[in-house]
Amino acid sequence: MLSRLSGNSVRRAALRASSKSAKGARRAFVQPSGADRASVVDVPANYQDDNLFTPRPDMLGFKLDVPRREGSVLEKARPIYLDMQATTPVDPRVLDAMLPYLTDQYGNPHSRTHAYGWEAEKAVEDARKHIADLIGADPKDIVFTSGATETNNMAIKGVARFHKDKKRHIITLQTEHKCVLDSCRKLQEEGFDVTYLPVQPNGIVSLEELERTIRPDTSLVSIMTVNNETGVIQPMKEIGAIVRKHRGVYLHTDAAQAAGKIPLDVNEMNVDLMSLSGHKLYGPKGVGAAYVRRRPRVRLEPIMSGGGQERGLRSGTLPSFLAVGMGEAARIAAKEMDRDRKRIADLSDRLIQGITSQIDHVIRNGDPNGYPGCVNLSFAYVEGESLLMALKEIALSSGSACTSASLEPSYVLRALGAAEDMAHSSLRFGLGRFTTEAEVDFVVKRLVATVQKLRDMSPLWEMVQEGIDINTINWSQH
Amino acid sequence: MVVPPSKHAVLSLYASMLRTSRSFSSYNFREYFLRRTKSTFREIQQNEQDPAKVSALYNDAVKEHAVLKRSAIVNQLYGGWKLVVEDQKPERTRGVN
Repeated sequence: MLSRLSGNSVRRAALRASSKSAKGARRAFVQPSGADRASVVDVPANYQDDNLFTPRPDMLGFKLDVPRREGSVLEKARPIYLDMQATTPVDPRVLDAMLPYLTDQYGNPHSRTHAYGWEAEKAVEDARKHIADLIGADPKDIVFTSGATETNNMAIKGVARFHKDKKRHIITLQTEHKCVLDSCRKLQEEGFDVTYLPVQPNGIVSLEELERTIRPDTSLVSIMTVNNETGVIQPMKEIGAIVRKHRGVYLHTDAAQAAGKIPLDVNEMNVDLMSLSGHKLYGPKGVGAAYVRRRPRVRLEPIMSGGGQERGLRSGTLPSFLAVGMGEAARIAAKEMDRDRKRIADLSDRLIQGITSQIDHVIRNGDPNGYPGCVNLSFAYVEGESLLMALKEIALSSGSACTSASLEPSYVLRALGAAEDMAHSSLRFGLGRFTTEAEVDFVVKRLVATVQKLRDMSPLWEMVQEGIDINTINWSQH
Repeated sequence: MVVPPSKHAVLSLYASMLRTSRSFSSYNFREYFLRRTKSTFREIQQNEQDPAKVSALYNDAVKEHAVLKRSAIVNQLYGGWKLVVEDQKPERTRGVN
C-alpha cells in the first residue's frame, strides 16, 4: 500500500543526512518526510455523532433536527418511490441482459474485423429491432442517441436548419418539455419564427387552432404525446391527419413518457420524427432513440459530426450495453403492456378514490382521460413545499424534475390556466410497474393526515370554513 | 403433436420460481416478481386443455427462471435497504442489556 522502502534504507538515509549535518553544522530547512513515514489514522470513535454534521446517504438532503437513538430501526429505512415520470428503476431482467456487455463482450459494435465487434453489432441490431417493434417502425429507421433531450435537439434544430432557405416557421405547444422550448428559443435567436400554441384547460391542444396556425413556410410541428407533468395524452392521430394534408410539414413528437405505456404506431399517427428515452422505459439512463422516417425521407442536419455512424445522423461509438439495455426494456414493455396498463389504472383509481373520499378541495390538473400513471393533484389552501417536506418518507415531486430547482410554479400548470396558488400546491404522483397497493395505501394515509394538519394550521382555511369568499378580501396593508 | 410438460414439472418450476422471487432483496422487485409468477402460472392453469399454448408458456417460464436467478443474486449483492412501507424488524443484538 505505502511505499515499499524497507525500514533499513530509511534509517541509512537519515543517518547519512544527519552525519553530513553534524560535520557541516549548518542550519537547513527541514526536509519533508516521505510518504512511507505517514500512516493512516482511524477517525475518532465518536465521529458519527450528531455534532459532526456530514450528510449521510440516508438523509436524502433533509436536515435532521431530532437526534436518532442508537440502534433505531428507522436509520436505514428508505422512502417509497412514487416519481416514475422523473425516472424509473432499471428492471432486473434488463440489467441481466446488459451485464455480459459490461464484462466479457466489450467489443466496439463498429469494429468490422473481429468477433468482439461482430457480436456487439449483433446485439445492437437486435436491440434496434425490439425498439422498432415497440413503435411499429422498421429497424433501419431507429437511431440511438444519448437520450430524449439529444433527440429533441437533433430533430428540431436539424429539420429547421436543413430547410432554412425556404421554410422559417415552427409550431410547438406551451406545455412542451424544457428541451423542446429551449431549442425553439435558440432557433428564434437564429432568425426563425416560432409559434407556441396555447392549450385548453384540460391540456389538449385545439385542432382548429393548429390547422389555422400552419403556414406555407412551416417546416416542423412538435407536440409531445404524453405530457410528463400532467399525463395528458394529445390526439396524435388527428394531429397527424391535419399535418399530412400540408406537404412539406414534418411532425415530431416527444414520446419519452408514452413509449411502452400506451400503444404507439408511427404509421397510424403519421409521425415523421419521434423521441424515445431509455430511462423512462425501465431501462438505463444515458441512452435514447430517435425514429427518423425514411419513406418519405426526412432530411435533417446532424448535430454530432464524426465517422458517419447511425446513417450519418449521430456519429460516435454506440454504447453497446446501453443500447442492449434499452432494447431489452422495450421488448419487456411490449410484452407486459396490457398487464401493466390494467394494473396501473387500478392503482391510480385506488389512489384518487382514497384521497378524494377523505379530503375535499382537491383538483386534478389535466385531462382525467390522460395516462393513469401520472396523477397531478392540487390541494387548495395548502403550501406545496411544506407538503413535500412533510412527506419525507415518500419520494414525490411537484412539477417536473428539470424545473424543480427554481421557485417558479410550473409553466405547464400555468398554461393549463391554474391559479398561481394552486400551481404552487400541486403534487405529481407517478405510478409504475413496480408500485404496490401497500405503497399507495401508505401514501393516501400520510397525505390525508398531512393535508389535514396543514389546513388546521392555516388561517385561510378557517376563513373558508366560516364561509368567507377569499377573493372578496382586500389584502391591502395599512 | 406437441407434448405438454408434465404436471410435476410445472409445479416444481412454479415452486422454484416462487423461491427465487422471494429471495430478492428489494421490496418492489420482490413483490412484482411474486405477483408476476403467480399470474403466469394461473394463466397456464387456465389453458390446461391447449397443449401447444401450455408448452409455449412453460418454455418461456423456464427461460425467465434462469434470468430471474441471476437477477436475484445481483440484487442481493447491491440492493436491500428496507423501505418505510415494509415491516421494520428491529435487529436483535446478543449480550447487550
